[in-house]
Amino acid sequence: METIRNALDFSDFPRLDLTVAGAVSIAFVVFPLFPHSAFAMATMIQFLMFSLYGMGWNTIGGYGGQVDLGKAQYVGIGAYTTAVMLIRWDVPFWVSMPIGMCLAVGWSFIIGYPLFRLKGHYFAIATIASTLVLKDIFEVWGFVGAARGLEISPIKYNPPDFLRLIFRDDIYYFYTILGFFFLGIFYINWFRKSRLGFQLRSIKDNEDVARSLGINVHWAKVKTYAIATAFVSMVGSFHACYIKSIEPEDTMSLDISILIALMAMLGGAGSLWGPIIGAGILIPLKSYLKEWLGAQAGLVGIDLIIYAGIIMLISAFEPRGIWGIVEKIRRRTRS
Amino acid sequence: MPFLEVQHLTKDFGGLRANSDIAFTVEQGELVGLIGPNGAGKTTLFNCISGLHPVTSGQIIFDGEDITKLKAHEVARRGLARTFQVYSAAGDLTVKENIMVGCFMRTRSRSRAKARASEILKDLNIDDLSDYLVTELPVSAQKRVTMATAIGSDPKFLLLDEVAAGLNPNEIEGIMASIKHVHDDMGITVMLIEHVMELVMKISHRVIVLDYGEKIAEGDPEAISKDPRVIKAYLGERYVREHGVRSADSTE
Repeated sequence: METIRNALDFSDFPRLDLTVAGAVSIAFVVFPLFPHSAFAMATMIQFLMFSLYGMGWNTIGGYGGQVDLGKAQYVGIGAYTTAVMLIRWDVPFWVSMPIGMCLAVGWSFIIGYPLFRLKGHYFAIATIASTLVLKDIFEVWGFVGAARGLEISPIKYNPPDFLRLIFRDDIYYFYTILGFFFLGIFYINWFRKSRLGFQLRSIKDNEDVARSLGINVHWAKVKTYAIATAFVSMVGSFHACYIKSIEPEDTMSLDISILIALMAMLGGAGSLWGPIIGAGILIPLKSYLKEWLGAQAGLVGIDLIIYAGIIMLISAFEPRGIWGIVEKIRRRTRS
Repeated sequence: MPFLEVQHLTKDFGGLRANSDIAFTVEQGELVGLIGPNGAGKTTLFNCISGLHPVTSGQIIFDGEDITKLKAHEVARRGLARTFQVYSAAGDLTVKENIMVGCFMRTRSRSRAKARASEILKDLNIDDLSDYLVTELPVSAQKRVTMATAIGSDPKFLLLDEVAAGLNPNEIEGIMASIKHVHDDMGITVMLIEHVMELVMKISHRVIVLDYGEKIAEGDPEAISKDPRVIKAYLGERYVREHGVRSADSTE
């Protein structure tokens, strides 16, 4: 009971934040009722998915300050678990998703336990390396379709299939991921003020102080890494049913890992709204840039140039991202 | 049996011996000062006791248990807390939330941690700071927050590392009262590193002096302030030769 109350307790946010958040939430809920293009719908779903990836990343990367550039491997584990189980054994999404989360969390312990002995850049590099290794394995592993990947064929099912999460109309996917999105916000709202959340925020600023307050720093990081992983794997499972075609190059690429971290950092690492703001800027930017410019010769890759520019701007001016700027202005006007 | 017993403690950093064969005991309920010139090895000694540095040789026994090889968080959970000279608390947490981090060592429940933090804020007379970020506060207030955070973990023994450094005389009075309150009323055994002599000499039952990593003297404040070895350590051999031995608190 206390946990639920804490998850719903937003009382430490200014009224303005809550008003905006409420208005945006309502806009999301009613969005499909208004005329929209299929492209806008797809962008919305991508945005919600990446918001969730970002929220997961934000636990370890934002609140914990451990720059994790290897989240794509867990997208892959979630997506492959769901796809393999559906195709081979006809296991519904709602069963395969938790199984995928368990597998991903198990893998995260194997990866996280040794990796968290490393610090700073070394940790970031190691997370990249572990993703590349897993991707290479999946590319040659016949059971999961190797480099050609897996294809979920909707003809075999009878959409709308709520158990297997196979739909013809994107609106169903939209509301499913929107549900996850709200649950994610409530979870992170609980997490940031939980025991682990506070401990992690203390670890970020000074590990020695944290240790002397009785915090097992290594274990706290491993646990939080597992939480981040569970988030990412959950959305990975959704990704499999939504995209219906997965291959290692797509789901486990370095691009995805970096995009996840970048969004959260752009929006504001270590804040509740940060990853959502970051995804809200980068995902439409990415989609529309691809649409408008990507097709033209010589402009392929311009989105990468823009990402690189954003990374440089954040690290040079405001490491706490857009939300950091907002809070800075607020503090200045208050005092 | 002493509450804290340090035996033959030696700590080397590469070729540098920061603590050399240090031995002392602290009884339950004592308030012990640890002084010495800069670089004498005081903070290193605290780091060894609290488990942040592995010792090179020697033994540390706390409350009847050998804690020499324990990790810092295990030492803390046994009731031996400490503060840091340069406190960088969780910068995006408020004062109250920082204290809650300490309280979370003893409870998993957020509401209980919150209630305990409020108690401590009131007890140390800093509840007006409750909702500020620690980084927004002046040094004197930050020092109190670091003490409050350590107390949040409900310790039996508290190591205070220069809680009065950089404070003005008024603020020193305040922090002195807080230390006495923690010791007298909360019943916590205290050992403190301090450069502000008027504070150490006024409140310590006993003072231990380090110089170049070695313990050079130990005794009650009165005797320590007259001890020629201590005066020599602080003022140098030449000063002692030219001026003779004078009371160290003549600066007051």
